[in-house]
Amino acid sequence: MDGMDKVLGESMEVNVRQVAITGVTAGLCLPLALFAIILIPIPGLPAASGFWIPAGFYFVMTLWFGIWGALGGHIATTIAMGYFFGYTLHVWLDGGIGDLLAPLVCLLVFKLTKASPELKTKRDKIVWAIAVPLSSLVCGLWVHTIHLLFGTITWPFWYIGVLTYFIGDSLAVFTVGTPLLKSLTDYVKQSPMYVWHQR
Amino acid sequence: MVKTFFLHIEDNSPLIKLHPVLKILLLIVINIEAWIIESPLILLIVLTVMILSFKPLKVPLSRIARFLLFAVMIVQAIAFSYLLGSTIPGNIVLLKLPWGTYVSDMTLLYAFTMILRFLTMLVGSTLILAVMRDVDITYGLISMKVPFSIAFTISLAFRMASIFLEDYFKVRDSMALRGTNFSSGSIFEKANKYSRLAVPLMVLGVRRMMELTYILEAKGLGLRKKRTYLYQFPLKASEKLAIVVLTSLMCLSIVAKVSSRLLSFPGWPFV
Repeated sequence: MDGMDKVLGESMEVNVRQVAITGVTAGLCLPLALFAIILIPIPGLPAASGFWIPAGFYFVMTLWFGIWGALGGHIATTIAMGYFFGYTLHVWLDGGIGDLLAPLVCLLVFKLTKASPELKTKRDKIVWAIAVPLSSLVCGLWVHTIHLLFGTITWPFWYIGVLTYFIGDSLAVFTVGTPLLKSLTDYVKQSPMYVWHQR
Repeated sequence: MVKTFFLHIEDNSPLIKLHPVLKILLLIVINIEAWIIESPLILLIVLTVMILSFKPLKVPLSRIARFLLFAVMIVQAIAFSYLLGSTIPGNIVLLKLPWGTYVSDMTLLYAFTMILRFLTMLVGSTLILAVMRDVDITYGLISMKVPFSIAFTISLAFRMASIFLEDYFKVRDSMALRGTNFSSGSIFEKANKYSRLAVPLMVLGVRRMMELTYILEAKGLGLRKKRTYLYQFPLKASEKLAIVVLTSLMCLSIVAKVSSRLLSFPGWPFV
């Protein structure tokens, strides 16, 4: 392993397992993305939600299965904003890349601090509490700065957008992701795809 | 009737018989054209033609009605963004806002144009995706020289989305039968109730992922092996011509956008 592989602690070689992780994560997150936007839409921001439910799923999938889980979230967001919301091409790609970056930042923080996704110790919980808002902020800054540069949104909505992503994503990841990590990490450990076996 | 990803389509629909490459190319062209075109009149014509083509192409028009709620969500987003947060010069200023932005006649026209662009993409994509089967995605992408692993993953994502949608309703109905009221409470209370669906859905997801891996490994699916395919989709001369026409149309639109004002928004550039 070298470079990114070394940091994330997993092989980047594509095999059947990785394809299954990405396909299933994307399939799981896709309908959730639609419900999230219908449930709490944000006036003035395309395809944005005040409670981005799929983030809770793909953050968790990324912490369990690595980059391939994040890629699933990216595909789901891209398809959700593309087909179901029909917004312009750069909005799909922009949002999709933002949702790829966010869980990877979270995974990177966990790997660098050697925290465990089981969230059993106080240290793991603190890392989780810091990594999630940090990741959401990175995603929000990326998405809305690109929107602004393309003229899709205006300056007043840049602030609202970044704040919405910061709060909406963090809230969803904490509400949905925390019980998932606490209750299901032991179950997921049985899977050969779990990326923390090397620890 | 032919089963596609999202519905059943009459087997005599002209779109069903299209080569998978043409279906994917059409999807790309519709979305890229809507992205290039900024003229409200041309977008309106394209949108009208698309809506009118549902009947002769034997795709149920009611499909669009299912997306009405999504459409309203996006239309409000576009309208709010431009009405409250833009400074687009026009002939008359209709409203000045305290935070420094204003609404002109051109603001209204530009917001309307953006709404037309979104509707064009939604209606066009719905028309094509209504006739898309899983083999179309896999074979279409492979014909476009996309690696099999990517084609298979995208096809899997669509297939899994429709399966998880059914799972979602089953789990939600089970919770409702046990007394959960999803329609009461504030919007955040509702969101919290929906988030409780997460654990059973994730268990189903992880189990499916493991089963799928074992099945694919047992079948000896190799992503890098030289593959043979069950179906053959040879390109007819007319389909090759259609590919050339669609590709040329995209290139011509880009040239027209750069070199003339035909596809541009009236009043560009804003200063």
